[in-house]
Amino acid sequence: MPTVVSIFDRPSDVAKAVRKLRDRGHDQLTTYSPAPFTEVEDAEDPKPSKVRLFTLIGGLLGLVTGFAIQIWMSLDWPLKIGGKAYASIPAYVIVGFELTILFGGLATFLGLMLVGRLAPGRLDKAYSKRFSAEEFGVAVDCKDSDVAEIDALMRAHTAKEVHVVQA
Amino acid sequence: MTPPPPGAEALALPVPKDSIYNRDIMAVTKGFSLKWLALVLLALGGLLQAVGVFAYQTYTGLGVAGYQAPVFWGVYIITFVFWIGIGHAGTLISAILFLFRAKWRNAINRGAEAMTVFAVLTAALFPLIHIGRLWKFYFMIPYPNQRGLWVNFKSPLLWDLFAINTYLTISVVFFFVGLIPDLAIARDRAPNGIKKLLYTVLSLGWQGTGRQWKAHSRTVLHLSGLATPLVLSVHSVVSWDFAMSVLPGWHATIFAPYFVAGAIFGGFAMVLTLMIPVRRIWGLEHIITDYHFENMSRFILFTSWIVGYAYTMEYFIAWYSGVEWEQTSFFLRAFGPYWLSTWIMIFCNVVAPQVLWFKSCRTNVHLLFVLSVIINIGMWFERYVIIITSLSRDFVPAAWGIYIPSPVELSILVGSFSFFSLLFLLFLKVFPVIAITEVKELAIHARDHAHGGAH
Repeated sequence: MPTVVSIFDRPSDVAKAVRKLRDRGHDQLTTYSPAPFTEVEDAEDPKPSKVRLFTLIGGLLGLVTGFAIQIWMSLDWPLKIGGKAYASIPAYVIVGFELTILFGGLATFLGLMLVGRLAPGRLDKAYSKRFSAEEFGVAVDCKDSDVAEIDALMRAHTAKEVHVVQA
Repeated sequence: MTPPPPGAEALALPVPKDSIYNRDIMAVTKGFSLKWLALVLLALGGLLQAVGVFAYQTYTGLGVAGYQAPVFWGVYIITFVFWIGIGHAGTLISAILFLFRAKWRNAINRGAEAMTVFAVLTAALFPLIHIGRLWKFYFMIPYPNQRGLWVNFKSPLLWDLFAINTYLTISVVFFFVGLIPDLAIARDRAPNGIKKLLYTVLSLGWQGTGRQWKAHSRTVLHLSGLATPLVLSVHSVVSWDFAMSVLPGWHATIFAPYFVAGAIFGGFAMVLTLMIPVRRIWGLEHIITDYHFENMSRFILFTSWIVGYAYTMEYFIAWYSGVEWEQTSFFLRAFGPYWLSTWIMIFCNVVAPQVLWFKSCRTNVHLLFVLSVIINIGMWFERYVIIITSLSRDFVPAAWGIYIPSPVELSILVGSFSFFSLLFLLFLKVFPVIAITEVKELAIHARDHAHGGAH
């Protein structure tokens, strides 16, 4: 299946071109940007990133873990300290809080890896070094018969170059 | 219409139009100047002498560190609090200013985040140096053991262990997440070789797809949201190492906000100390402008007032409490044997920064550099005053003593600055010192809007 890669200079043009492609039913597409631009990201996929679920689950897990280990450990080796109860909740708020942040942060990073499909050294055929400089790319996976249509469409939307990469 | 050139090789053409941000910022990592090498050697020397002195201390015992009754917390704890404090400005710039959408942070956040990681790494060494029996440090970690013992979760020192380790981990994650897109730039620019391999692995196959950027922005937002309460908690917990005790001069509710404000104040000064020479040496004036330094000066002036307020309030409460021990403790701070350190602290942290009321001073880079060094000194003395005056003058005059830092402690203090400098110098040669994609984002936006009248 061929991939049509068009090169753009401006994020607003990319967003418009991508919306047009999706209207025409070409939704097997990927954008490449040198910096984050919400208009481009939303044109590609308007749904919010799932990373937020990871933060929530990680944070809650950390909170529960924090209190659970402190309560269990102080009951496992009971020592009266400062006249406080063995399981002294107010004194445990701090470690509970720190573990909420720790687990939440690490889970968020895991979320970035999984949602962003990050893996060292793996690059798409359509990727170019130009996209880490200052140019934008739109890659569309399509049938051979659609190449000409997409080419024309992209050039009409100020794509300065259009290339075809065979997968 | 030209026919599309076949195959991927067309895309592998050299970059037609190089990004000046990629070029100028990555240029910092290229080559080794004589000055840089000299600084690295100096820092390495300073670190190695401290390693030697530490071996001597470990072999001989903590007595060589000048510890004697009643002062058993000396330069090591002072320097620990100092470095933890330095880290705070980095998190403030990267997380809190991000949440406030203060775009000017883009030029300095990478340097500040690196500073945070290195400062916390340096600080984390000090509890280990301070405990003397280094090989027993793992007793602090709760792990299942044959003795059936667990750690005491009601102790502020244990809270500190959790706070510092969480802070270190989250700072590293934050720093690394911000670096990923810039490492992809470095990967794309590096010639084949060891650096290319390093960047390829570290950039995690980043391509800047819409999906990746969306996940990345979300991650940065959430990490900022997590790091903001974290940074406020870390120095609060450090302050509770003192405030939870009943020593006059330590047992105060103002300690947490007082320490946090001091940390931000001192940390901003350290950002200036590091970024002013970096900007000068590599000619990055078009990216880090005087405007950035002026904004940081404003922060320094503001936090200087909070710190000054805390100093005043401590004396007021000591008087107002009517507690004789508290009053004596504070009288001796200002007029006792450690009067000099107290007045150095007040001069450096409250008096000297007042020059920043004047725009001519806020935009004078040389003056800012000198002032930032003065503030670093002042913040070290602040911790010296808090820790030493209270410990050496506690409840019973018969138990009073005098503490003088020993040469061993001072060598290790020098070693900590060397360790920090060495890490920062190596950082300059491996990672981009300015967040390239963030600076570029603003530039591309500006270009798009300039063109976009027609849209």
